[in-house]
Order: sequence, then C-alpha cells, then structure tokens
Amino acid sequence: MWNHIKRITATSLGWVAIAVFIVLTADVLLGVFSRKILGDQVRWTEELARFLLVWISFLGGAIAYLDDKHLGVDLLVDRIDPAAQRIARIVTHGLVFAFALGVMGIGGTQLVIDRFDSGQVLSALQINKAWFYLAVPVSGYVISLFAIGNVIALLAGATDIENPDSNDGEVAS
Amino acid sequence: MSEGLAVLLAVFVALMLLDAPIAFVIGIATVMAAWALGYGDVLVSVARDMGNGLDSFALLAIPFFILAGDLMGAGGLAGRLIDFAAVFLGRFRGGLAMVNTLTCMLFGAISGSAAAAVSSVGGTLIPEMNRKGYPKDFNIALTSTAATTGLLIPPSNVMIVYAVVASNVSISALFIAGVIPGIVVGLLIMAVALIVSRKNGYGGEQEHVAGEIKRSALVCTWRALPSLLLVVFVLGGILSGWFTPTEASAVAVLWAFLLAVVIYREVPIKMLPRLAVGSARTTGIVMLLVAVSQAMSGLLTEEQVPKFVSEALLGFSSNPLMILLTINIILLVVGTFMDMTPAVLVFTPIFLPVAVGIGIDPVHFGMILIANLCIGLCTPPVGTCLFLGCSVGKSNIARVSVSMLPFYGAMFVGLMLITYWPALSLWLPKLLGVMK
Repeated sequence: MWNHIKRITATSLGWVAIAVFIVLTADVLLGVFSRKILGDQVRWTEELARFLLVWISFLGGAIAYLDDKHLGVDLLVDRIDPAAQRIARIVTHGLVFAFALGVMGIGGTQLVIDRFDSGQVLSALQINKAWFYLAVPVSGYVISLFAIGNVIALLAGATDIENPDSNDGEVAS
Repeated sequence: MSEGLAVLLAVFVALMLLDAPIAFVIGIATVMAAWALGYGDVLVSVARDMGNGLDSFALLAIPFFILAGDLMGAGGLAGRLIDFAAVFLGRFRGGLAMVNTLTCMLFGAISGSAAAAVSSVGGTLIPEMNRKGYPKDFNIALTSTAATTGLLIPPSNVMIVYAVVASNVSISALFIAGVIPGIVVGLLIMAVALIVSRKNGYGGEQEHVAGEIKRSALVCTWRALPSLLLVVFVLGGILSGWFTPTEASAVAVLWAFLLAVVIYREVPIKMLPRLAVGSARTTGIVMLLVAVSQAMSGLLTEEQVPKFVSEALLGFSSNPLMILLTINIILLVVGTFMDMTPAVLVFTPIFLPVAVGIGIDPVHFGMILIANLCIGLCTPPVGTCLFLGCSVGKSNIARVSVSMLPFYGAMFVGLMLITYWPALSLWLPKLLGVMK
C-alpha cells in the first residue's frame, strides 16, 4: 500500500516534470527566436523560465528523495554492523523529515503567506511572487511525508527502504 | 561568532559521517548555526534563501545541459565517438589506450557528465581493452581519470554552479577558459597511458584496431560529426553573441532531441518520459544543493567567515604560491570524501575571496578548483568515477588504486600547470574577447 502510494506520487511528479521541461525549452527557444528573428524579445520568457526553474528544481529534489538518489558520503555507514546501520538510517531519514517539514514545509508556508500579504507581483507575468515560492513548501511536504514513512518502516523492522525506481546508477557529476 | 560556526562544523561532520544526504546536511547545519548565533525567524529565512538562491536565469542552463546530455548519451553516442577516435589513433601501439582517453574527453564534453562517460565509454572499451591484452585494472584507472576531463572541457555544469556562487564571473569566459586546461590534462593522461602500455607491452604487437573498423576515416568522422556539432553550436553561439549560455543550453536540448529521435532514431518516443524524469531527478539533486548552499553561504558571509579564513591563510604565509598550494592541498583532501558539486558550493565562497585577495582571477581560480576536485572524483574513500569504473569493469578499489598511481601523477601535474600558469586558462578567453 505504502509503496503503491510512493510509486503513484513518483509517477505524477514525473509527468509534471516532463511538462515543465517541454514548456521550459519552448519558452527559452521562443526568447531566442523572438529576439534574433523577430527583432524584439518577448517580455515574459525570462521570467517564466525562472519561475519554472524553481518548480522543476524542487519537484526534482522530491523525486530524487523518493528514489533515494541524493548524494551522500558512504564513508562509515557501510562498514558498521546492520543493527547500527539501521539506527543511522532512522536518524538520517528523521533529520530529512525535520528539515523538509520545519524549514521547507512550515517555513516555506509562512513565506508564501507573507508574500501573498505583501502583494509583490512578478512584473511581466503579472502573478504574485508567492506562486514562485510555493515550490518550496510543496516539495517540503512531499519529502517529509515520505521521510516519515521511511522512519516508520525502519522502526517497524525494515533494514533498508524500498525505492520505486532503483535500477540505474545515474550520478550528478 | 565562533560558537555558531563550531555548531555548523560539528553538525556538518557528524551528519556527513551518518551518510545523510549532503543537501539536507548543509540545510540542517545552517539552521542550527543560525539558531546558535541568535538569528530570528530562521525557518522562514532559510526557506526564502533557498527559493531566491535558484532565482537565476544562468542556473537554468544546468537542467538543460543535463537533459541534452541524457538525450545524447541514451543512443549510440559512445559507439560513434569510439569509431571516430579509433580511425585516427587506433593504428598505433598503445592506440586503444589513446582511443579510450580521446573518447572520454569528447563524451564528457558532449554529455557533460563524467559519470556517464565512465559507464558508457568504459562499458564498451574496458572489455575491448581486456581482450586486446591490456590489464583490467589499468583500463579502469585510465577510463575513470580520463572521464573527468569532460568537466573542464565545455559545456560544463559544474562551471555554471561555480559562476553562480562566485557571482560576477562570466559563464562564457569559464567555458572558453576550460578548453585548453581540459585538453592539457587529457594529453597528460594519454601520455602516461602510452608510456605505461609500451613499457609493459600492453596491447601486444598486433593491436590495429583501425583495421577492424570497416568504415573509412571520412565515414567515421561524418557519423560522429552531428554529435560533435553540439559543442560547436554552444561555444560558437556564445562566442558570436547569438546566445547567452542558458539559451545555448536550450538549443543544445533541441539539437540533442533531433539527433536522438529524428536523425539517428536511437531513442524511441516511448523512452522519452523515463529519460526526462531521470533528468529532472538529476536536476533536483544539483539544484537542492545549490539552494541550501546559498542559504549557508549567506550565513557565512554575514558572519565574515571568508574574511576570517582569508586572514588565517594570509597570516600563515604571504606568498601567493604558498597560499595557492595550501588551498590546493585542502581541496585535494576535501575532494577525497566530498563530491564535486557540493565541494564547489561549500568552498567557493570561502576560498575565492582569498584567491582574489592575492591577485588570482576568478576565472583562473575556477579552473584550479575544478581540476583539483576532478582528482577527488577518482580517489577513495568517496570517488564517483573510480567507484563507477570499478563496477563497470568488475574489479575492486584496492586493486585499481595501484594502477591509479601514474594517472594521479598525470592529473597532479595538470593541476600544478593550471594553478601556476594562469595563461593556460586565461589566454584563450582573452584572445576571443570573452574576458578582459
């Protein structure tokens, strides 16, 4: 059941990411085309690009957590005994939960509320800057939900967490 | 100030040892340090810094280059580049070692990922070299080190990361600056590979890879050309002033898509969603690191840490050569256990002011930083390229480490050349007018 929810979330985030990628590419190419061919750059392309960048980054960050792909330092944990390893994993997923919920989720929500109140508007897109910051708490809540799920699974006796997708070893360098 | 920073450092090290994801380690350490220093509203301000940290058109080039690289790498890029390198270099003794190096350089430049170069190029060439009488551990060592040159040869995402944290450094200048250092390190690795192969008689008398390639030099070049054009488009577009680096990266996505789906037809449409999700995930890994690092470097600057480090280093020695050497040694140590992107994000704000203070150009310093951390990608205990090489080539780190030694030598000589010979990095961008 839990893994089912995880897989559905990962798949939905994936489709959003694909849509964002397509719009982003088209948007930036339109910027070049309008400037170089039409002679006058469309006003909103750069602002929309920055807006979508923040969304794809934080959604991608959530996908990376679901797939357990964030970079870590495998210095010590692989070398200690399984029981201690499990405790280390409970602590690290617990800390991810705390940061994702406290800073990205709750701090991010407060930030979004403040921005709505201040009424600051993105000049070309004419939307509130709060929509830009909304990516932070959305990503934070998704990550914290699955982080607490991992902690519970580990506490219930799992030795390691399951990932919906763990068959490739892509690394970010 | 000092208690807050002690908290930052202690939390950082403790969580790193627990194998917590580095992005979250940096975030948590920043929050704890800010609390210890008595800042108010920490949760909201860190969240705001994270959002603002990504609000940059320049950073957008990162997801685009990742996506373009994934599209390029998914098809038969490695095979075409190998054929291309083999028709020119394969006929010599030790030729396959040179073919491997050149292919890694090209693949790394086009795909922008040293890790992808190790798995794609190594996946084909390591078994091939094994068959031709090169020892396995030598092949793994060669592939792992050669793959890192792609991070110096443009386009390179780590340069964009550096440019954004360094602020006011031109990505165009960095890209052009990386060309010569990247080629120099590649040639050094090639030379070492050739010397070691000939001395030990690797590859035997009758290697003649070129004879096995049924196509002529012209055909092989023609087949590899569209992929190589990606680099030409990006650099040409930037140099001619047609595109900003970000726009060039979007053009690279379009070109990579056309090649993969329409021209070579190696990536079926059905595969695209999966590929794009992978790119989004890689983007998320890098960008979350950038976001939290922006929050941390804000705190470090607020607490004048760079100034403090700068004074400490300058108190230790006032000789620029010694200071650079000290920075190099610290970075080499850091690189052994930290991946490149987080290391650039954490150490640029601390060391760049020192370097600028002793008269080093920020573009030149970027090359030093990247060349230095490239070595770290190939060193245990944490070395992405070395680990991948060992898993692709089916060996273990202890055995490969011995074969690594001459290649570490090549990379270190490269690093020293880059560090102490600024013109190596700065001559070309000045000549082409992308920097003063």
